[in-house]
Amino acid sequence: MTGDLLLQAAVSGFLLGGVYGLVAGGLSLIFGVLRIINFAHGAVMMLAMYATYWLFTLLGVDPYLSILITGPAFFAFGMLVQRIVIEPNRFAAEHNQLLLTLGLALFLENLALVLWQGDFRTVRPAYAAASFVLADALVEVPRLIACAGAVVMALALFAFLRHTDVGKAIRALSEEPEGAMLMGIDVRRIRAVAFGIGAACVAVAGALVAPFFYVAPDVGESFNIVAFVVVVLGGMGNFVGALAGGFIVGLAESLGATLLPGSLKQLVVFALFVLVLLFRPAGLFGGGHGR
Amino acid sequence: MLRDHVSRRVFLQTAGAVAALGALPAVGRAQAKEVKLGYILPMTGPLAFEAQLSLNGLQLAVDDVNAAGGIKSLGGAKLALLPGDTQQKVELGNSEAARLIDQGVSALIGPFSSLVAYSVRQVTEKNRTPFMLLAAVADNLTEGGLHYVFRVQPNGKAMSTLTMNNMFEMAKTAGVAIKRVAMMHEDGNFGTTMGNHVESFAAKLGYALVQRIPYNLKSPDFTAELSKVKAAKPDLLVISGYYGDSKIIAETAAKLRIGVHALVGLANAAYSNPKFIADNRELTDNLFDGNYWHNPQSARAKAVFDAYQKRFNATLTSHGVQAYTVIGVLRDALERAASGDRDKLRDAIARTNLADHILPQDAIKFDDTGENANASPALLQVQNGKPVVVGPARFAEGKPVFPVPKWHG
Amino acid sequence: MAADGGAGLVLALLVVVPPFLPPYFLEILISMMLFGYLGAAWNILGGYAGQFSFGHAAYFGIGAYTSTLLFLRLGITPWLGMVAGGALAAAFGLFAGYLSFRYGLRGPYFSLVTLAFAEMLRVVAVNSKAVGASLGLVIPTRTPAPGDFVFAGKLPYYYVILAMAVGAVWITRRLETSKLGYSLRAIRENEDAAEAAGVDALGMKLRAMALSSFLTALGGTFYAQYFAYIDPTITFGPAVSIQGMLQAIVGGAGTALGPLLGSFVLTPISELSRAAIRGRAGVDVMLYGLVLMLVISFLPHGLMGALPRRPRRPQP
Repeated sequence: MTGDLLLQAAVSGFLLGGVYGLVAGGLSLIFGVLRIINFAHGAVMMLAMYATYWLFTLLGVDPYLSILITGPAFFAFGMLVQRIVIEPNRFAAEHNQLLLTLGLALFLENLALVLWQGDFRTVRPAYAAASFVLADALVEVPRLIACAGAVVMALALFAFLRHTDVGKAIRALSEEPEGAMLMGIDVRRIRAVAFGIGAACVAVAGALVAPFFYVAPDVGESFNIVAFVVVVLGGMGNFVGALAGGFIVGLAESLGATLLPGSLKQLVVFALFVLVLLFRPAGLFGGGHGR
Repeated sequence: MLRDHVSRRVFLQTAGAVAALGALPAVGRAQAKEVKLGYILPMTGPLAFEAQLSLNGLQLAVDDVNAAGGIKSLGGAKLALLPGDTQQKVELGNSEAARLIDQGVSALIGPFSSLVAYSVRQVTEKNRTPFMLLAAVADNLTEGGLHYVFRVQPNGKAMSTLTMNNMFEMAKTAGVAIKRVAMMHEDGNFGTTMGNHVESFAAKLGYALVQRIPYNLKSPDFTAELSKVKAAKPDLLVISGYYGDSKIIAETAAKLRIGVHALVGLANAAYSNPKFIADNRELTDNLFDGNYWHNPQSARAKAVFDAYQKRFNATLTSHGVQAYTVIGVLRDALERAASGDRDKLRDAIARTNLADHILPQDAIKFDDTGENANASPALLQVQNGKPVVVGPARFAEGKPVFPVPKWHG
Repeated sequence: MAADGGAGLVLALLVVVPPFLPPYFLEILISMMLFGYLGAAWNILGGYAGQFSFGHAAYFGIGAYTSTLLFLRLGITPWLGMVAGGALAAAFGLFAGYLSFRYGLRGPYFSLVTLAFAEMLRVVAVNSKAVGASLGLVIPTRTPAPGDFVFAGKLPYYYVILAMAVGAVWITRRLETSKLGYSLRAIRENEDAAEAAGVDALGMKLRAMALSSFLTALGGTFYAQYFAYIDPTITFGPAVSIQGMLQAIVGGAGTALGPLLGSFVLTPISELSRAAIRGRAGVDVMLYGLVLMLVISFLPHGLMGALPRRPRRPQP
């Protein structure tokens, strides 16, 4: 019997982990280039989920298709936020930058509350109820699509970072900030682009999640802290590491829910977090920025 | 001079008018009189939406009372609602309560969150101000010999025991035995209160609680938890949760074919919520919920529903019903007290015996601790996209579908 | 310094005026002093040692639960329980601090690990029936007993927290001119250089952590006694950590009066915006977030940094 439970937990945890990975990937990129921990990450995801909701409810746009709209839109939004809020403070003390993003998070979450009130909204396309059984384990179709979508997005970004000029510039700035500037890279622009990509990642994640989740002003909180854990696990600035880290955290959380009583699954995630921070702060896969 | 003459006349006329006003101070004051009622609700923060629903109910009730002539025994004094925002924080709850008391409210209504209520009730007790609890579910809020705390809605114990009772009654009628019960609840104050009761009443009501799982309501996935529930082979799954988590649970439980006779919400924020049902038609079909509700057989309730729909362009929810009823209790007490004085009002509330209400229960009476002695939740089931009262029998407006086929493997 | 004179006057007002204030204002004042106190406690580790803890709620919670459990289960007066709570919190702080510092966690990594510790304590508390789980612990309303930290009105509580806040400022002042203080300053500016110069960075940071966590725990006991109810979210949740931190940063981290100044400014802003924009849920917190962003952007050294100061002797 336990074997069945563990298998189910592994499957559902893995699927959710893909989404965690995508959310964390954006956060990791932002950290790599801008060296800030973006507390407003979840809030941006929440805004994107509202956008997905409005596109679906008012215009009948399928949530997955709406990515074609929200992805670029939130890329632009991210760049804008970076230019207006973050860039002017780029020389501020680290802790101040953290608080800046915290203030931004408070602002955005409550802006949503003011504009759209606190009531929960649902995005429910026809296939939301679809599921099938694979070797005794339930697979919910929207979650499967979310995971697959996340992986595709992550791989696409990885290719982007590897093979395009902008991508290489981002990596250069992330790994060797002084050298990058000497090489004539437009550092300001790259910083804005990085933040924009981070926002786009989280917007895509939001659209992927909407069909099985719900939309409300505080919905980003479900992913915010987990994203930090995943980023540390994967190595801050290590984009693919974040994806792998996402799967690990998703699995750990789900297995924790199966094996531990009560709501202690959260403990597993934090314990993992603390252990990695202490013993492998560069992340499980290295390539991170150490302490 | 002509000007002096005119001005003296004007002066005398004016003086006369002033004197006339001065001669009838009682009438003047009575006409300007109003009774202030203060509310403290989490207007900002995660419960903002529900808080607004409660406020709507308060507003509608107050306007109804005022339109019908106000408090007659006070010369038609109108009710005035003074606002307070707790942001669901204790220190704000206290300061808002203190502020409203300073502003002369005759009674305080709120505060929604039990944790805020624990603290505020001491403020109201110290200031001898009647405190009508709204939505706060924790049982021990009325404990400790407090005189000024009153609760109209069923408390946690009544909610859980009576709901389980109603389910068992229904099962008996359907000829189905319920021996094994599983429960999932959010791990906060609300869920844990319900969970504790369902657990402690197991022996008395004759079931075994085969699985009890508190969960973090922010989690996006409950598949592992529900697998554990399925493995325990329960007859019934009870869920005390909020909107989002309850939705995910119902969704995953259906897909897992969890094998229960029914999914029963216990004061669940989603399962009897018309908006949730409308947004998730096929998912919500035949879900049960034991919750605060109105009396569907009452003509007055129907009138209130219509009025609410017209004014707010939305269906009245149980939050609104409770709020509406609290004003009803206060109105009745004010009439009997014939005074806005807090102590007199408190005594009048304590002696309440109000049958003219819209709740699915007998007359509203308060026991020594301030609890509504006859408080009763309704047992609802979603049928054809609407929450239908299926219990207690004398308030029912439809027959239950039980066992529910879709949960079976 | 000009700031000192001003502070002296403010203190005098804070002692003399409150008995004449209506209850509403007294409530606000008590909240203000409590958050200012928590900010001052946080400041010792955050502002002076430069180690930004995002999880000070851990110590707040340990203090609150320790004194309350000792009181409810064993009848031990919270005045003593407070000290026990402080000691336990300091022990936990040393444990967490040692792990973190020993393994070289700095900057945002340190912040995140402290956040994780606080959250872990919260989850454990939520799942522990022994401490009431999410139902928390209620201190039953009883007849006032000053010996048990239970007072009749608000005023005595006010004076207690006032004394605590003044005490925290005084301790901070003493710290500034002590060897520990100079060491911390050196560590804050450049830890590696300080170590090279012979400063025992680990030892000094741990001392700061112990002091900071001890003081924070005392605040937890005060909260429990004043509000008479605690639960895992109130005590171990991120809100407490953030509140304490904000007062210090907005007011001026690394200054003795900063946290209290920050509290004096932030609390009324929050109150006023709530009062002014009633009925429209969320606007006030939105403004709060905006104010925070503006303060961080334009007053990076907090409010104290914006005050005119007499030139001090050069830093060593």
